Amino acid sequence: MHALDTVVELSRAQFAATALYHFLFVPLTLGLTMLLAAMETIYVITGRAIYRQMTQFWGKLFAINFALGVATGLTMEFEFGTNWSTYSHFVGDIFGAPLAIEGLMAFFLESTMVGLMLFGWDKLSRGKHLLVTYMVALGSNLSALWILIANGYMQAPVGSVFNPETMRVELTSFTDLIFNPEAQAKFVHTSIAGYLTAAMFVIGISAFYMLRQRHVELAKRSFRVAALFGIFASIAVICLGDALGFINGEDQPTKLAAMEGLWETAEPPAGFNVIAWPNQDEQKNDFELQIPYLLTPLVTHSFDTPIPGVDDLEKTAAQRIRSGIPGLAALQHLREHPNDAAARAQYEAHKADIGYARLVQRYAPDVTQATDAQIAKAAADTIPPVFPVFWSFRVMVGAAFVMLAFLILAVTYSLRGTITDKRWFLKVAPWMIPVPFIANEAGWVVAELGRQPWTVYDQLPTWVSASTHSVGYMIFSLTGFVLLYTIFIVIEMFLMVKYIRLGPDDPHPGHGQGTPAGQGNRVSQWSEA
Amino acid sequence: MKAFLQFIFWIFVAFVALFLAIVLGERGAWYLAWVLGTVMIILIAVAGTVMLDARYEDEPLE
Repeated sequence: MHALDTVVELSRAQFAATALYHFLFVPLTLGLTMLLAAMETIYVITGRAIYRQMTQFWGKLFAINFALGVATGLTMEFEFGTNWSTYSHFVGDIFGAPLAIEGLMAFFLESTMVGLMLFGWDKLSRGKHLLVTYMVALGSNLSALWILIANGYMQAPVGSVFNPETMRVELTSFTDLIFNPEAQAKFVHTSIAGYLTAAMFVIGISAFYMLRQRHVELAKRSFRVAALFGIFASIAVICLGDALGFINGEDQPTKLAAMEGLWETAEPPAGFNVIAWPNQDEQKNDFELQIPYLLTPLVTHSFDTPIPGVDDLEKTAAQRIRSGIPGLAALQHLREHPNDAAARAQYEAHKADIGYARLVQRYAPDVTQATDAQIAKAAADTIPPVFPVFWSFRVMVGAAFVMLAFLILAVTYSLRGTITDKRWFLKVAPWMIPVPFIANEAGWVVAELGRQPWTVYDQLPTWVSASTHSVGYMIFSLTGFVLLYTIFIVIEMFLMVKYIRLGPDDPHPGHGQGTPAGQGNRVSQWSEA
Repeated sequence: MKAFLQFIFWIFVAFVALFLAIVLGERGAWYLAWVLGTVMIILIAVAGTVMLDARYEDEPLE
């Protein structure tokens, strides 16, 4: 492999590693803040001390996760500059704005309010503390919103124009950027996936307590609130996943073809590959198990729309590469002769396909001399790695349906009041905690690996986006990040297990106790009778 | 007077909410869905958990 390719691959591996580590913490933060808000709302409404104790206990676990999530997230923003400097130069005007707003608005809001939420219990009134908790929840989700607006641009660039004089993309419409359908669908899907993650986390730990007969009253209430929160989140995440798939499929047909293992254009009504063994070298599925007629309505939301397969997508890509070559040649000419009207006209005529010409530049530095074989090779590059995208998508969807089934049972048992009798369910529940995390990671792989070979879809190929570090530097920094982040994960696990074993603190005297609805009242007498 | 000012304040809040809902509904339907959905999920989770305590209250002590 060429040294440049090795650096690009190592840069990708480094970003993937840091993002995947970071994304272990983020969804739990997004969801747990909302669950904390729900728990504290119950405390404010009922005045029962057990709900304050509950909010404080889960808040402690949230704090551990939040701290480590911030630590793993900070480096990622710097990586854009250190490892992806060409990308940052190319789209910095677009990408920088949401990231800056995220830091200045959402993260500052979240970070400031977290301190008040954790340490302000005895300093703020109930109403004010509840408001603070809601601000933490809003801040963490707004933080995700701005990141996903930036990511939405990478998936489907809107509201911008490339300036051939500065060789940068410039923002033309901030509202188009914010209201990018791709960003909207990604945000709601990711945020609600976080709700589901938090619900499964709370259910699993509550079940552990009920199984061990510890903190049973707190665990039953935590279980109830999380089960109800989780079941709606699981339904929503499936519906919103379908919406995201629909929007994303229109924007990125290559990702859709990889997700569904479609090597040839599927005429309606196409069958859905439940499982398959994609073989990218031979462009076929070595094995596939289909449900007839399902794919067309599932993916296109119609019964008569064909779904482009890899064969036609490669042909289209080859055409766009050929169309982009004169555009890229004109652009290179304009760098030295910015007032050349003929070159400007040629650039304008082909500018939509210049990104594709950059793909073939990998094999033919002078694109005007590119051979048919090189163009075909570049066209083949427009298809992302099918096997991992195909299977990551199925792992994510399968996990979502498993969680839905689990939550239906959880809600049923909780509403019937029989949850403490279902010991088999309580034993299974803690083992379900990793499932949403696996689904989240798989979803990230589908979204980001499925976008390849682009950093900005249709515009900027990944291979030109990276910085020009040495291979040794990249191996050293990648190893360092993996080691450091693995230590973070171990610390998180250690602290989580430690505080879960310790359990909730005793209720604070004077908060709900002594009131008609406080702890030590009829509720606990009933449960202990 | 205080009640009247509170009334005016909440009317103002309602108008702002309606304006935002119209703007979001037009250009950011998924964002609006997130706001409404999140509020609904929290309310249902809260109501369902309060029901748990209400049920304990209603049942006789053994």
